[in-house]
Amino acid sequence: MTYRIVIDGSLCSGFGTCAELAPDQFEVGPDGIALARVGESDDPAVLDAAAQCPMGAIAVFDEAGEQAA
Amino acid sequence: MKSDPTFWILARATGLAAFVLLTVSVLAGLVVKSRPFGTRLKPATATDLHRTLALLSLSAVLLHIGTLLVDDAANIGLGAVLVPGLSPYRPVATGLGVLAFELMVLVYASFSLRRRIGQKNWRRLHSTTFGLFALAAGHGLFAGSDTAAPWGLGLYLGAIGAVAAALAWRLLVPPARPQPRPRPAAASAPAPQPKEEPA
Repeated sequence: MTYRIVIDGSLCSGFGTCAELAPDQFEVGPDGIALARVGESDDPAVLDAAAQCPMGAIAVFDEAGEQAA
Repeated sequence: MKSDPTFWILARATGLAAFVLLTVSVLAGLVVKSRPFGTRLKPATATDLHRTLALLSLSAVLLHIGTLLVDDAANIGLGAVLVPGLSPYRPVATGLGVLAFELMVLVYASFSLRRRIGQKNWRRLHSTTFGLFALAAGHGLFAGSDTAAPWGLGLYLGAIGAVAAALAWRLLVPPARPQPRPRPAAASAPAPQPKEEPA
């Protein structure tokens, strides 16, 4: 399963939870806002990162375009 | 000679306010993930509420301690507000309050240090908030001057019940599905999209 990662930069407050849970997919940029290192990933860690985001700023979509997390 | 009860009243009021604010902050923190209100309460709103209420509660605790220090009837010195058990008045129950205060400062400060201590350690430390809440409730119930009044006892028991219910919900009920967003895969008209890195 390949997941597509969308970050709402207006919601992100730079908690850094995503970058700790899925460091290959997320990083916190110099402006304190999370960035997706990759737009797509097949690592289920991205689901955890999205679910754990305290601001609900990360959406993950599956191949069918359905929101997975 | 009559003793001026102003600081005593203030100490009770700030103590109760701190406990109510702590309770609502804990409830807001618990609903960030469990989302019992579905899409009506956004996680971002709950998180902001959680942090603001925590700061307000800590401020009320500092006022509570400050008023007790200047109240001559309470007879509490700087040592008694920092070391559990040194207060001459109900040393065990006031000691619970001292421990709750110190844990609160630690948990609040750890938010700024979470990058340094790591997400997992931060979460572990953050979960001690439940112990902090129990200490604060015990302190209020057994040292509070208003516990004897029905509304006082009702307030403490209601707060404990609300936190227990929200914690049970968080642990037992799976979170509601996240709010739907515009699908990035939707092909037709290119709608304005949230910030993302190119694939």
